[in-house]
Amino acid sequence: MVTHEDVLKIANLAKLSVAPEELDGLTKDMNEIIAFADTVSAASADVSDFDNINGLSNVFREDVPVPSYRREDILKNAESSEDGYFLVRRRR
Amino acid sequence: MNYELVCGLETHVELATKTKIFCSCTTEFGAEPNTHCCPVCIGLPGTLPKLNKAVVEYAVTAGLATHCEINPDAKMDRKNYVYPDLPKAYQISEYDQPLCRNGYVELASGKKIRLTRIHIEEDAGKLVHERGNTLIDYNRGGVPLIEIVSEPDIRSIGEAAEYVEQLQAIMRYIGVSDCKMQEGSLRCDVNVSVRPQGSDRLGTRTEIKNMNSFSHMTKAIQYEMDRQIDLLESGEDVVQETRRYNEETGCTEGMRGKEDANDYRYFRDPDLVAIRVTDDMVAALKAKMPEGPQKRLARFQTEYGLPEADARLLIDRRRIADYFEAAAKGTKNPRTVANCILGPIFSRLDSDAAKDEFRVSVSPENLNALVGLLDAGKIRKNLVKSTLEKMLDTGKPAAAFLSEKDLAGVNPDDLRKICEQAAADNPNAVKDYRGGKEKALKAVLGAVMKMTRGRANPQEAEKILTQIMKA
Repeated sequence: MVTHEDVLKIANLAKLSVAPEELDGLTKDMNEIIAFADTVSAASADVSDFDNINGLSNVFREDVPVPSYRREDILKNAESSEDGYFLVRRRR
Repeated sequence: MNYELVCGLETHVELATKTKIFCSCTTEFGAEPNTHCCPVCIGLPGTLPKLNKAVVEYAVTAGLATHCEINPDAKMDRKNYVYPDLPKAYQISEYDQPLCRNGYVELASGKKIRLTRIHIEEDAGKLVHERGNTLIDYNRGGVPLIEIVSEPDIRSIGEAAEYVEQLQAIMRYIGVSDCKMQEGSLRCDVNVSVRPQGSDRLGTRTEIKNMNSFSHMTKAIQYEMDRQIDLLESGEDVVQETRRYNEETGCTEGMRGKEDANDYRYFRDPDLVAIRVTDDMVAALKAKMPEGPQKRLARFQTEYGLPEADARLLIDRRRIADYFEAAAKGTKNPRTVANCILGPIFSRLDSDAAKDEFRVSVSPENLNALVGLLDAGKIRKNLVKSTLEKMLDTGKPAAAFLSEKDLAGVNPDDLRKICEQAAADNPNAVKDYRGGKEKALKAVLGAVMKMTRGRANPQEAEKILTQIMKA
């Protein structure tokens, strides 16, 4: 069972602030999500290596450089930028 | 009470690949911010990482060079944490199946510092803090790293420094990294604890993050040891925490409290498939590996008869060791070659960076030719150094400075005449010699060498002078 403490811990790790009145709802939601995911554990399957069910290995890239993107394109989605850097403003 | 240090290191080494670990952006150092970036290394949604083959090869080579077992079945995991230097909010690393395990690095004393593991991971971007804001450059984001984790086998600050030096030498030798601490391509996190001398229990440890120079590292360990001993002596406990070394104060400071100790929630990265290192791959990498610095050190002493201290200075950098071997090829005087490098050549390379680069105007072939003249008895030892200086000044071969006359030496009749002249010029020395002061002969011999500009054979000249001055 997911508790209020679990939710607060996960929120803290994700740097989210959770208001006290939201706690009950989020705890309930998380329990339901985990219960849903448990249906996978309940299913019977012959595959033991769930990590790599497609059996692929060693998909590599050769160490050959290609030109990078233009800086203005890289910064296009940035909320703000300064002198070619991404800018993270101090929170007030 | 006497305390001893218990120390283990996590060393991050940037690999010398041309491209990043999961995309084809260049890893070149020192570019304008955010010009070596693409959607993969700035973590845009929907992008797919693809592992650089050279990263696996370098990491396995590093493992082989440090006596590790190579894991045939490695994989990559996500290490989750939220900080702006990681645009994805996770770092791709290896958690429970690293590429290399159970190795060691041997110190000069013969003591082995055990390695727990070596794994591959991506470097984070660089943060610049300015006026409370943070500027981010992701050029370094996605540059491949290996993290080399040692067991807590280190018992002194000297051992810690030697361990890092050894790692640096090994990694440079096998060519997996340039290991420049000043450019951040080698950085250490140091785990420090203390315990009463003779105890076999481990004390509570603290971790000092991101040491990027030897002097900071040794000062930080010393400070942290003293701080922990003070705490224990006054009956307090050491708190397990991460600390930062403050270069200005020379102190270590706590970075975060115990309450938000990290919980990285590792899980397998579903975007990346298994890494299977086959015996064939390992054999091929082994075959490509150059001789390690330890072996070379021993060989330089036996094969070339170099004193250990000289051999150490030469093997420290592979480029210099290679230069020495090329210059010493086939010579009867390898020690003269070593002295040429450690003397005149080193005196022109006054910084570590210059020695790393080792740009020398004299090719190893030209130095080999110069020493060849000594081997053949065509010039004397004292002429080697002065000729080499001229060669270094101009980049020209020895033949440009040694005339036919120089190379021919001095014929016996001329030498006798010159010796007679020298004795006549130094009547006091001759008188002293006849009075029993044998050393006075050296002054006259010096005059002979000066008159022949070093071309005379000193043994011959001494013989002739003894005859003349005794008479």
